[in-house]
Amino acid sequence: MGNPILIAENLSISFGGVTALDTINLSIGEGEILCLAGENGSGKSTFVKIVSGVYAPSAGSVAIDGSRVDSQGPRAAISAGVQVIYQDLSLFDHLSVAENIAMNRMMHDGSRLVKRSRMRAIAAEQLARVGVELPLDDRVSTLSVANKQLVAIARALSMDARILFMDEPTTALTTNEVKRLLKIVLELKSRGLSIVFISHKLDEVFAIADRIIIFRDGHKMGDFTAAELDEESLSFHMTGRTVSYARYHRQIDDETPLLQVQGLGRTGNYQDVSFDLRKGDILGLTGLLGAGRTELALSLFGLNTPDSGRILIGGQPVSIRSPLQAMEHGIALVPEDRKTQGLFGAQSIRNNVSSNVIDSLLGRSRLIDRKAEQSLAVATVHEMNVNNKNIDTLVQNLSGGNQQKVVIGKWIARHPTIFILDSPTVGIDIGSKQEIYDRIHTLAASGIGVIVISDEPEEIIANCNRVLVMHEGTVLDRFEEADLRAPEFKDRLATIISDPEAHVKHATAALTTINTGDQR
Amino acid sequence: MKTSPFRAVFNRPSTAMEKYLLAIIIGYIVIVALKNPLFFSVETLFDMLRSGSGVMILAIGVLIVLVSGGIDVSFTAIAVVSGYTSVKLMLALGIDNILFAFVVSIVVGCLLGAINALIIYRFNLPTLIVTLGTASAYHGLMATVLGTKSFPTAAMPQSLVNFGSTDLIVINSDTGRYGLTVFLPIVIAVLVLTWFILYRTMLGRQVFAVGSNEESASRLGINIFRTKLFVYAYSGALSGLMGIIYFSELKYVNPVSLVGTELMIIAAVVIGGAKLTGGEGTILGTILGIVVVQLFQSTLVFLGLGSSWNDLFFGAVLLISLGVMYYRQRIQDRKNLVFATA
Repeated sequence: MGNPILIAENLSISFGGVTALDTINLSIGEGEILCLAGENGSGKSTFVKIVSGVYAPSAGSVAIDGSRVDSQGPRAAISAGVQVIYQDLSLFDHLSVAENIAMNRMMHDGSRLVKRSRMRAIAAEQLARVGVELPLDDRVSTLSVANKQLVAIARALSMDARILFMDEPTTALTTNEVKRLLKIVLELKSRGLSIVFISHKLDEVFAIADRIIIFRDGHKMGDFTAAELDEESLSFHMTGRTVSYARYHRQIDDETPLLQVQGLGRTGNYQDVSFDLRKGDILGLTGLLGAGRTELALSLFGLNTPDSGRILIGGQPVSIRSPLQAMEHGIALVPEDRKTQGLFGAQSIRNNVSSNVIDSLLGRSRLIDRKAEQSLAVATVHEMNVNNKNIDTLVQNLSGGNQQKVVIGKWIARHPTIFILDSPTVGIDIGSKQEIYDRIHTLAASGIGVIVISDEPEEIIANCNRVLVMHEGTVLDRFEEADLRAPEFKDRLATIISDPEAHVKHATAALTTINTGDQR
Repeated sequence: MKTSPFRAVFNRPSTAMEKYLLAIIIGYIVIVALKNPLFFSVETLFDMLRSGSGVMILAIGVLIVLVSGGIDVSFTAIAVVSGYTSVKLMLALGIDNILFAFVVSIVVGCLLGAINALIIYRFNLPTLIVTLGTASAYHGLMATVLGTKSFPTAAMPQSLVNFGSTDLIVINSDTGRYGLTVFLPIVIAVLVLTWFILYRTMLGRQVFAVGSNEESASRLGINIFRTKLFVYAYSGALSGLMGIIYFSELKYVNPVSLVGTELMIIAAVVIGGAKLTGGEGTILGTILGIVVVQLFQSTLVFLGLGSSWNDLFFGAVLLISLGVMYYRQRIQDRKNLVFATA
């Protein structure tokens, strides 16, 4: 570790009597990548907000290069060289790329007038430092999430940042985009920038961390060099218990398919996709973002009408044109974006859980039976082990993991026969992840057919007994339970997901040799 | 690459809404002119410029508030209250000077706007609720303290009457005498000043930033209070300016008029492409929106239609143009499998 740039001493803060951080001591060295690890609510984000001047600590201090920055507001922290890239990126959707990047710098310079040429020059310079090219005049709202991330980084760099905080920067990125981001982070480090990286994805943490500091319930639980830990010990320190993902094995002896997809296609999305889903199957649908996975799931849920092929449920061909029809066929979908598509954030847990089954909660005079609704909601929070058992809590006030438990719980209340989960654990900490996996296994074991969409090999391996790899809209490869049990399968799957092109070539080469009659 | 003439002038591509409005305006003018050639005259143009000046100034205030992510419904009340206060003060002090009228009215409007900003920021209340409240409160306060006595032309300060009759250019024709109003340079000055503030100063860009995402703006260290104070005080000042222009144009001081037309003006700005969710809106769009309103208001008579058609036409344009815009966006979103806007 180089000379310490940031030193936090005895930092404490409490909100309404609840201690969010308790006497935290830590330092961050020059040109160091420090990973802050911890479950949701462990105090990582609170720490970031104190350093960046958003919160004032109740005790203790934060100093950068020996001078205190706590309790003096965001601009003081920015002047001292603190830059934060929040999880939501905090960009201005209505403004141009150039303006988003340059605004910080121009405000800091105290300019009163705006010169487009200067704005564009600042933006171009910072993007060059990140090593990417983006259309300067386009609105930020038109960019992909990965490119928005780069705009946020470029904006942060424009301020001669000394310490860059990145709060869960990779949740919305695909595997290849994550690789590019991590590469940029390492380059920034080599230029002497200190980086504090917050992520739930342990493989990313180990890929770049020099040092790992673990928070749990507002306490610092440890301060390690990356070499001192592995995924298992890190998980243990974060949760206080041993976390291991049990693997799923299908034990149902019934080969009749619940759902058959035959030659299904939708122009521009995916083509010629076929598979069967039996009772108790957990089918993994994997591949990079843009491979057509989500588009396929939306078709099964009536939101993206296919233009070729057919869907059979219980052996009968069906046409699914709306979510309501999908639900009538016993299909449930946990969407990719739970905040905007999975939940009513400003409503209570009670209302969210009952929203899917409101018909069955009607009493004699077609009014909602409040008692039945209450007992359903109470049963759901207990069954799903939502940490807050008060069913009148607004869903938006729950952590990501607990929100997802509510989404899954509300679908279970409908007793679906086919359950599709799109990226079910994005942005969710490992403790909740384990619980959600257990829940998926129980559902499948009870005879439901489950489809899990994910680009995390670990998630696929832990949950699925069959896997379909998609690439550019077609099924690239498929694996059965026997394949999945092979010892090296996880690495093999990871390679295919991250570099599907190579796999395509490999497969084509194999096919050519077969065609030429070479039996090897 | 060839740049369109529009792009060359405005340094940006035109918005879809601006194109729609321009098409509607041109189409409508052609229809009216065919039906009644009398419409196509300098006097009609001069007449519309005179009667549209005040509304245009108010609309610019509405635009800047909408861009900042708020809705202000108190601007008509502020215009009347500031204008009336100014007139009363002139009569009481015996100062019959148009400059004095403007200064007092603008200062009062600015203060009332600042009070709006203060309440909105301090109590973190929705802007619509606050300005609904202050609109009544300001008007009620004026009525109790200053009364609501109206002044006809003879009884009002003569400088206002004279100012309202001042023309820049006068054209004599066989049907009468028509002049280009002195309000025009004021309106142009307001447009240019507002354009400069919104697009060429950091303050203006911060208004867009706050309207786009207030949380992000405060994380960046943008002073939210200062920005909002500017937005509402500026809108208030424009209302004050309009108050005097309004009384001068009518040559009649009536403190219970104007209030009630605010939704029409907000609708015109929204037709012009400003979004109620903030961060979006253009000056050109606002001008076109107001032109549409004014056109209907002053030309239906040329088509031989009564003034009640005005509301029907305006409502239809509002619903159809916005309906088409949002429907197209929806189709586009569905094609891209976007189901919710965060």
